[in-house]
Amino acid sequence: MFAALGASAAGMWLATSPRAVRLRVIGATLASAGLIVAVTMFDGPSGELAQRIMFWLFAGAALVSGVCMVTSRDPVYAALWFALATLGVCGLFMLLGSPFLAAATIIVYAGAIIVTFLFVIMLAQQTGLSFYDQRARTPVMSVVASWLMLAAIMWTFQRVGAAPPPANEGPALVAGEIPNPLSRPADEATFHTLRSLGRSVFGDYLYAVEIAGTLLLVAGIGAIAIAPRRTEGTI
Amino acid sequence: MTGDYGSFLAVGAAMFALGGVGFVTRRNMILIFLSAELMLHGVSLTLLTFGRMHGNLEGQSFTIFILTVAACEAALGLALILGLYQRTKSLDVELWSHLRESDLPPSVLELDKDQPPLEPESPEPPMPRLTKAGGVPIIDDDFPAELARTTDPRLIYTPSAPDEE
Repeated sequence: MFAALGASAAGMWLATSPRAVRLRVIGATLASAGLIVAVTMFDGPSGELAQRIMFWLFAGAALVSGVCMVTSRDPVYAALWFALATLGVCGLFMLLGSPFLAAATIIVYAGAIIVTFLFVIMLAQQTGLSFYDQRARTPVMSVVASWLMLAAIMWTFQRVGAAPPPANEGPALVAGEIPNPLSRPADEATFHTLRSLGRSVFGDYLYAVEIAGTLLLVAGIGAIAIAPRRTEGTI
Repeated sequence: MTGDYGSFLAVGAAMFALGGVGFVTRRNMILIFLSAELMLHGVSLTLLTFGRMHGNLEGQSFTIFILTVAACEAALGLALILGLYQRTKSLDVELWSHLRESDLPPSVLELDKDQPPLEPESPEPPMPRLTKAGGVPIIDDDFPAELARTTDPRLIYTPSAPDEE
């Protein structure tokens, strides 16, 4: 696993550094392949074949397009790769039994990506490719730092996965009364339904929903206050 | 304990790391913003996986709140990017590196640009450092510093003084 992570870190370094196009493509390929190989070291879904195929399809799409988004020199292509990464992540959401969240993420990010697209085309593409997209800031340091963190996280997950499961859910969960009782579906078959998700959000997290609504209101007002006025000239 | 879901956790961690690299290395402000969204994707995936492992719905509820915060962040971030773009006519984030704390060293690219590197000054004693607060950053050459201190919102965002009416 660490060898795969090291290979992908070297690929990321190649891909983010200002080099020839072919070297950068090789670097991006190496980075994605290393990440996917590192993911294969973990226990994948052990269901039927179709589920496994779908998992590797979605995970591969998410990882490859994530690498391409980070290393792409053209902001329009980067936004497109981000859309593909979002689709891959939504597929993984679906595999995890949360179809509502997959749909909601696609809807929210469809709007966000279209707006981002407009911004990129409007602001950055007026004079072709800009110089600041060609040079990355501190590629070596950031790749080393992020990949160290990634290796630490994956190592922890592997160790936790190798440990034998506890007999009960641990002392903190059995002691006292069950926290958030509405968030626990009565039986496993209702796990993915919107009804049980609604009971959890509007039951256990009702105050948080109110706070989130207030946050949306404040953010809307703030965006209007920050955005430049029409009297100050156009873009 | 991770069971069948270890690879989901690994994919989430990898997305987070990729977003982190993008956040630091990209210089386009819009792409920095998109990289932050990529990190949020990784976190959402991890939360959903943990919720699935424990057999409860709290991971899904948390992810809904992540979606809410991402929407707020998108609104505020794009408004800020528009405002910054109007000042410099560029999306380069390096142009704003002089807004840093006054006692921090300049960034790497700025050091590349200025030929002589800064001379090493006399070594300071290792004391806890408190940055002086309340300093007004010099935003532009033709941006008068008095305007930045006003509280009139019409004056704050105007690069030059408004016409007398």
